[in-house]
Amino acid sequence: MSAVAATPQLELRGVTKRFGGVAAVDGVNFEVAKGDIVGIIGPNGAGKTTLLNCISGIHHLDSGDIRWEGASIAGMAPHRIANLGIGRTFQIVKPFGSMTARENVAIGALFGSAHMRRGMKQAFALADEVLELVGLKAKADQPVSALTIPDRKRLEVARAVATRPQLLLLDEVMAGLNNVEIDEALEMVRSVHATGVTVLLIEHVMRVIVGVCRRAIVLDSGRVLAEGEPEVVLRDERVIEAYLGERYAKRLKSS
Amino acid sequence: MIATAASNRRRQRIFLIAGAILAAYALLAPLTSLDAAQSANVPLLADKFWFQIATNIAMFIVMATAWNIIGGITGYAAFGNVAFFGIGAYTTGMLIAKAKWPFLLALPLAPVVAAAFAALVGLPLLRLRGHYFAVASLGVGVAVGELVQNIDYAGQPVFGGASGLFLPIFRIDNRGLFFFYLMSAAAALSIAVTWWMLRSRLGYGLIAIRENEEAASVLGVNTTAYKVAAFALAAALTGLAGGIFSQWNVFVNQDNVFPITYNIQMILMALLGGTGTVFGPATGAVLLYLLIQFLGGTLPISFDLPFVSSDARPIVAQVILGLLLVVVVIFVPRGVIDFFGGRTRLSVAYLRRSLRETSL
Amino acid sequence: MANFVQLVILGLLAGGIYVAVGVGFGLVWGVLNIVNLAHGALVIIGGYITWQLFTALHLDPFLTLPVDAVALFVLGYALQRGVINRIIRAPLLFTFLLTFGLNLVLVNILLLIFGSDFRSVTPAYAGKGFEFGSIVIPYVPLISLGAAILLSAGLAFLLNRTRIGLAINAIAADRDAAQLVGIDLRHAYAVTYGLGAACAGVAGGLIALIQAITPTAGEPYTLQAFVVVILGGLGRVSATVVGGLAFGLVEVFAQSIPGSGSVFANAIAFGLLVLVLVTRPQGLMGRLR
Repeated sequence: MSAVAATPQLELRGVTKRFGGVAAVDGVNFEVAKGDIVGIIGPNGAGKTTLLNCISGIHHLDSGDIRWEGASIAGMAPHRIANLGIGRTFQIVKPFGSMTARENVAIGALFGSAHMRRGMKQAFALADEVLELVGLKAKADQPVSALTIPDRKRLEVARAVATRPQLLLLDEVMAGLNNVEIDEALEMVRSVHATGVTVLLIEHVMRVIVGVCRRAIVLDSGRVLAEGEPEVVLRDERVIEAYLGERYAKRLKSS
Repeated sequence: MIATAASNRRRQRIFLIAGAILAAYALLAPLTSLDAAQSANVPLLADKFWFQIATNIAMFIVMATAWNIIGGITGYAAFGNVAFFGIGAYTTGMLIAKAKWPFLLALPLAPVVAAAFAALVGLPLLRLRGHYFAVASLGVGVAVGELVQNIDYAGQPVFGGASGLFLPIFRIDNRGLFFFYLMSAAAALSIAVTWWMLRSRLGYGLIAIRENEEAASVLGVNTTAYKVAAFALAAALTGLAGGIFSQWNVFVNQDNVFPITYNIQMILMALLGGTGTVFGPATGAVLLYLLIQFLGGTLPISFDLPFVSSDARPIVAQVILGLLLVVVVIFVPRGVIDFFGGRTRLSVAYLRRSLRETSL
Repeated sequence: MANFVQLVILGLLAGGIYVAVGVGFGLVWGVLNIVNLAHGALVIIGGYITWQLFTALHLDPFLTLPVDAVALFVLGYALQRGVINRIIRAPLLFTFLLTFGLNLVLVNILLLIFGSDFRSVTPAYAGKGFEFGSIVIPYVPLISLGAAILLSAGLAFLLNRTRIGLAINAIAADRDAAQLVGIDLRHAYAVTYGLGAACAGVAGGLIALIQAITPTAGEPYTLQAFVVVILGGLGRVSATVVGGLAFGLVEVFAQSIPGSGSVFANAIAFGLLVLVLVTRPQGLMGRLR
């Protein structure tokens, strides 16, 4: 990696998280610069979600450090990390079931980044803006139970965006969507990124990474396997092997 | 306000009207017993006995509404809130009986001490979830009563021991009416607090915690602080009711301020009326209190239960209460408040749907 | 030293009751995810059956235990099948309130039948025991402990070695998957609750031997059963046995502290509960779930 003059916005140093004896995340190092859009890919069980949980404070690290704009955030409670300006979504969406879409998003706006705190009126105004951004405006007053799966994924993103994050962590927001829906979701991610938010997204779908990311990090068995431009990384032999297994990798090479 | 709009607004209007009628009655009824009204032949709307019942109802409105803050809005099934009632009662009681404070000075300390206690036990307890929290809070309710009754210092019971505390009578004209108004003010305060909460950052944060605590925390809600705040707020209101009760009743002991049955009654009231709503718990309190007293045969309007001797009457009333609890829990899980204002109509279909949603 | 040995013995013997009370409660909680607030009522029904058989037919109280078990199994099966199964998918507040309602009904029916007089079961050998120098081992708690261990062993055997036991284990692991492999959930749930009730009944029979009972005497045992299960760790019979014995020891030693006495039984139980929950949520013997 070339030396970066300014402090990176997010910096992971030797991040390790074990469950029982198994290291789900094992000595991961990487940096994310402000305004970047980075994808983390890897096969199932590679430790992608665990890594996100470490960054957002849901898991405590066993060793290593995570720095946000130069200061350590390891061991901080999730709400404090959110208050600093790191927003996230969950792969398995966790909507507030008794509320409408608008109220869900307003929660993000009411809390979220500390320096962006706002009153009830402004929070709902911001919620409306964000709902428009993700294309849920028409369904703002529907209860969550009435939303389709793709809409719930949008809601998940909208809620995180409404916290006014400087860094947005997206956990497989495209999983389970069909091709058309993926295109729409990609557009949504681009438009969020365009508002100046740094994006770190976890994906299983290669197309998403290639389509939107400037940089990709490949995770396998809790370690960083490769890192670089998406097209380059995805042609990396080790990556293909990790994804498809050795035999396929050989066959791919020979053909 | 969190819930779907139109039917809710209609429902709120109904409750505001009902509340206004109750308030008007509360203000006018005692006036009809004045000499001037008597001589003008205005019909008597109230006597001492009804005021006692009304004061008790107001007391349960406070408890059920306060429970709703932690149990209904925050979603933590607290089963030991009676501890706060008892602590409030003993705080005021001790200050008056032992330290000779005047009542109006001693009363404000009841909610303060109860809230401080709630914050203290809340920090460890609110880390627990589900069953663990429920039973641990039940344990608090039981243990606090036991400690208060049995703690001795140098051979002397600190809090009056098993014989309880006797307070001097509060000297004021029309005492029953005074305490009715005081307790009603506490009830109004608890409802107002809930109303405000559901429109505030605090309320939205708490509901987010109820719906999904992890999601709430990554959106920036300080879950620990919010839960402790809700618990302490519920404790403060419940403690206030306890403080008023101690001077009203003049006598305080473990049996009358730490009864385990209050825990269940306040929850059942909130559930019957509708948890998480502003007026639901209060509605439930009125209905259930009257029902319990009616079954127990302590209301002036009553009836004889067939095949039941008067000795067995209170016991049979408990059996009926238990059966009622079972029926309400099985068939009306969202509370009877659902039937007001046109949200759901009471019908066989509704009962069957409720049953199907929860059965195996 | 002799005093210490005596306290350990008394603690372990006292633990027998808690083992018996805990295993049924833990089974229902672990498998059905119900914290059964009616457990104390079921316990005391067992106590009354033993008392009735002892006074009317002069049966040896320990011989009445199988009767307690069978009667309570039938009652428990019916309660689960007829009532509790209807709210099994509802939030925990509802199962709590429902079982509390059942407790209220059962206790007050007992009050109607037996009144609130204290009833005690005193066979000829009550109050006697082996004496080794200054150390005494009373017969009744000793046999009770044996009965409780036997009960737990029987339950463990049933759960691990029989067809219905395996079905119950499958449900505890994953309800929906169990249904997919063809287990009749309604029946299996009812059997589970019935078994829990049967254990409660046996516990009640034992309790009638060591204290005078009234219809409300079972209620403290609900909280204590909860503490025992937490102490040992939810999910295994053997863990509950350890939890019960540990609880007996704690109780006996706490009561031997001068000035504390038995009046703080609930406060001690609760203090222990919070301590364990906060420091070691998986219990003494448990694994994290």
